[in-house]
Amino acid sequence: MKIAADRVLGIALIGLAAFIAVQAVQLEMPFSYEPVGPKAFPVGLSILLTILSLVMIFRPGPNGQWPHKALALKLLLVLVLLLAFAVLFTQLGFIVSSLLVVTALARLFDATWGKALLTGVLMSVIGYFLFTTALGISLPSGYWFDTFI
Amino acid sequence: MFDFLIDGFGVALTPLNLGLAFLGALLGTLFGALPGIGPINGIAILMPLAYTLGLPAESSLILLAAVYTGAEYGGRMSSILLNVPGDAGAVMTTLDGYPLAQQGLAGPALGLSAVSSFVGATIAIIGLTLFAPLLANVAVMFGPAEFFALMIFAFSSMSVMMGKDPIKTAIGAVLGVLIGTVGIDSGSGVLRYTLGMPELYDGIDFVVMIIGLFAISEILLMLENSHSTDNDGELPPLGRVFVSLKEVLVCKGAIIRSGLIGFIIGVLPGTGASVAGAVSYTTEKRLSDKDNTFGTGDMRGLAAPESANNAAAVGSFVPMLTLGIPGSGTTAVLLGALMLYNITPGPMMFTERPEVAGGLIASLYIGNIVLLMLNLPLAGVFARVLTIPRWVLVPAIAILAFVGVYQLHSDLFAIYLMLVIGVFGYLLRKLGFSLAPVILGYVLGGLMEQNLRRALSISGGDVGILWQSGISLGLWVAAVLLLVLPWLVPKLLAGRKLSAG
Amino acid sequence: MKINSTLRYASGLALMGSALLIGQAQAQAIPESTECIAPAKPGGGYDLTCRLAANGLQDTGLISKPMMVSYMPGGIGAVAYNHVNGVRADDPSLIVAASTGAAVNLALGKFGEYDADEVRWLGALGVDYGAIVVSADAPWQSLDELMTDLKENPNEIAFGAGGTVGSQDWMKAALIAKSGDMSPRDLRYVAFEGGGEALAALLGDHIQVFTGDLSELRSQLEGGKIRVLAALSEERMGGPYADIPTAAEQGYDVEWPIWRGYYMGPEVSDEAYQAWVERMQQLSEDPVFAELREARGLFPMSRFGEDFDRYVQGQVAEFKGLAEEVGLTK
Repeated sequence: MKIAADRVLGIALIGLAAFIAVQAVQLEMPFSYEPVGPKAFPVGLSILLTILSLVMIFRPGPNGQWPHKALALKLLLVLVLLLAFAVLFTQLGFIVSSLLVVTALARLFDATWGKALLTGVLMSVIGYFLFTTALGISLPSGYWFDTFI
Repeated sequence: MFDFLIDGFGVALTPLNLGLAFLGALLGTLFGALPGIGPINGIAILMPLAYTLGLPAESSLILLAAVYTGAEYGGRMSSILLNVPGDAGAVMTTLDGYPLAQQGLAGPALGLSAVSSFVGATIAIIGLTLFAPLLANVAVMFGPAEFFALMIFAFSSMSVMMGKDPIKTAIGAVLGVLIGTVGIDSGSGVLRYTLGMPELYDGIDFVVMIIGLFAISEILLMLENSHSTDNDGELPPLGRVFVSLKEVLVCKGAIIRSGLIGFIIGVLPGTGASVAGAVSYTTEKRLSDKDNTFGTGDMRGLAAPESANNAAAVGSFVPMLTLGIPGSGTTAVLLGALMLYNITPGPMMFTERPEVAGGLIASLYIGNIVLLMLNLPLAGVFARVLTIPRWVLVPAIAILAFVGVYQLHSDLFAIYLMLVIGVFGYLLRKLGFSLAPVILGYVLGGLMEQNLRRALSISGGDVGILWQSGISLGLWVAAVLLLVLPWLVPKLLAGRKLSAG
Repeated sequence: MKINSTLRYASGLALMGSALLIGQAQAQAIPESTECIAPAKPGGGYDLTCRLAANGLQDTGLISKPMMVSYMPGGIGAVAYNHVNGVRADDPSLIVAASTGAAVNLALGKFGEYDADEVRWLGALGVDYGAIVVSADAPWQSLDELMTDLKENPNEIAFGAGGTVGSQDWMKAALIAKSGDMSPRDLRYVAFEGGGEALAALLGDHIQVFTGDLSELRSQLEGGKIRVLAALSEERMGGPYADIPTAAEQGYDVEWPIWRGYYMGPEVSDEAYQAWVERMQQLSEDPVFAELREARGLFPMSRFGEDFDRYVQGQVAEFKGLAEEVGLTK
């Protein structure tokens, strides 16, 4: 298991190197003044990457422990939450979206519902005013929010 | 000869300007400590404020310079406490800073890095005062060929970081360089690896890159750690609050050497705090890491990059003040601020507007003392961040990451990209990669490629240009020695032992 | 507040009554909160362009609430262009900074599916001019000497500037070559990241000719480190630039104005657009603004509304022709 991960990575990286080299060779330039154009460097790197990956496939190193199924699911959930944060960020505005996401994240990290909600409310409201008023950073207030104020 | 400086202190020590230096230092520390909001954004945000308040030129410059130096101080905090670099210059600070905090030495680590920052910046300010005009002439001697040689030197000095798994270090660096090739190629104007997305034309932004790689992957790892059996989500011990004099003295060589290295790299236009941090860290590891403790919480490994990145921040004032050429993105913004007041920095500034030049340099001295006084006692307070439970810390990191990227791009694509890079960073860390070589490859690779191509464009393809000048030849020799000596010396020693045995 | 600011600017005008009417019309068509997008990272030319409008409108009292400046880097302006076309096409509070560089990129088709006539070009508040610069100890005293030498030894004179092949910085070098009956392809041209780096390379004699902008050269001119062989303007500029001959008066017919202006979304109402045009026109006539513009190193330029729109369309068409001619596009 441990050894396999490095080998899989090595093969994936060789694939990446091939992609990079093919893309680089296909670059089209209208014209160029340069003796060394934009292709040489990526092609050189892809060769280097291939050699290094081959070495790794034949001499794989130690890897960390991979998460078990339940944990992997939780990790995925965190990612989904962060993705939702991104989607909601401009739609609902900073305060509402961070209230939702902070509460959910706190729950995922084993906070009680009460603590999670409190963190969510405090962080979103204080954060909003800290960033916008004190530091002068513009944040989305949310399209729907505008109509209320 | 130093009349302008005496007058400058007269200007900088008025109550208003002193107050502004203090305010700037405080705000700058805060901007720097927030991941993604670095000195450039801090200054860009405060510039209109200074202008609207109707501050005189020297006062607003003092405010902005204090923000700039303060941000370099602040950048170390989240590096040490959260393993998330607060800005570009603080990437190397994570390597030894975070392990120190995990061992319960967050307070001393913050204190030591404040002292290192102070000494590094002071070395650079003295250098700026004494040698600015002279150094400006040296800086322009660095053309594309010299920069290429400098990058070769920087990459070969990275070989010291190979550590346990040299192959993975090398792969990490190559991946970093590849990420740096995304976007419009500045030499030819062709699009590389943009996959048809205009959002990628300008390349993958540095801030998006470090926030994704470090902050997002850190959130994922924290979740794992809080579930692993050998660590019940326990927080690191808080331990001592203050750094001891003895600890500072152990690092004095590292701090002074790195301050000098940082200053010189800062003076060169085009290289800044991130390159300075990398070169000083690897140099110091090579010089003084006899027991191989760098990377596991060695105080010297923390002191070196902090001294260097602050020195580089000050060093980049040299080309700006003496030549009117911005040496970094931040000084470009400062240059814009000066233009707003109808002051054109350059050779004439010291004679035509001595109160501005002198006031600025004097305020750098004062700002640094303010920053040290501010940061030493605060070390204990900030160290408490570590006692914050995960369910508060993780959402806070998430918010900071999103705000940091959003205020820079006002665009969701950058946030998606940050998440993708975060997953990539998580996988790399799980597979036993270190993130520092990836970042270094990203920073140095682009400089290396473009300068190589520029040099060869100038010479029309003649590679001789690459080692024509004394500077580049010297750098090539140094680079080769760096690679050969560590390999050769043990062999020679072993040979001697064998013959003796 | 709104009445206050309207009154303040009105007092500065002779025709008070009509001005008040304009003010009211403006106030209705444009929301109080305004925004300028700089399609770049903080600190660049687009940032300064946004700040020019924001500070100017603020200082002259034409707006009551400070204008917000936000950044949208990506695709040399393409991301912001697409954003305005796609997401905020009818937003009457939004203006976006643009320049000659944007027109060049539009001409080269670098803004994706959108063309130059997709947005409403608002106007330009200032202009800078290209310059042909050599080091103070260079052998060439005039543009003609440089061009003669260049024709004989094209391989010994390296041009450099802050942009790639196809950028507005490169266009200056290409046009100069063309005006001297040389193909731009025969130049030796080096692209740097920004004018500052290229200028440093000129001072260090790594390149021999720098095609920059007049405003960024002021301190070097005063310090006597460089020689400007030609200004790419219609006529000689004043102040510190009075001694610099134009390219045209030396027999090379090249002009390169770098305007700093703004555009708005394609579906913005005519009312809001007209109100903005009037607002910008008033701004450009204000003496307070003139000082501000000069501090930025910009020269006066007043083209607004339809006039500016035609100007930009014309420029884009011209650049398209040029790009085809030198083989940049097919």
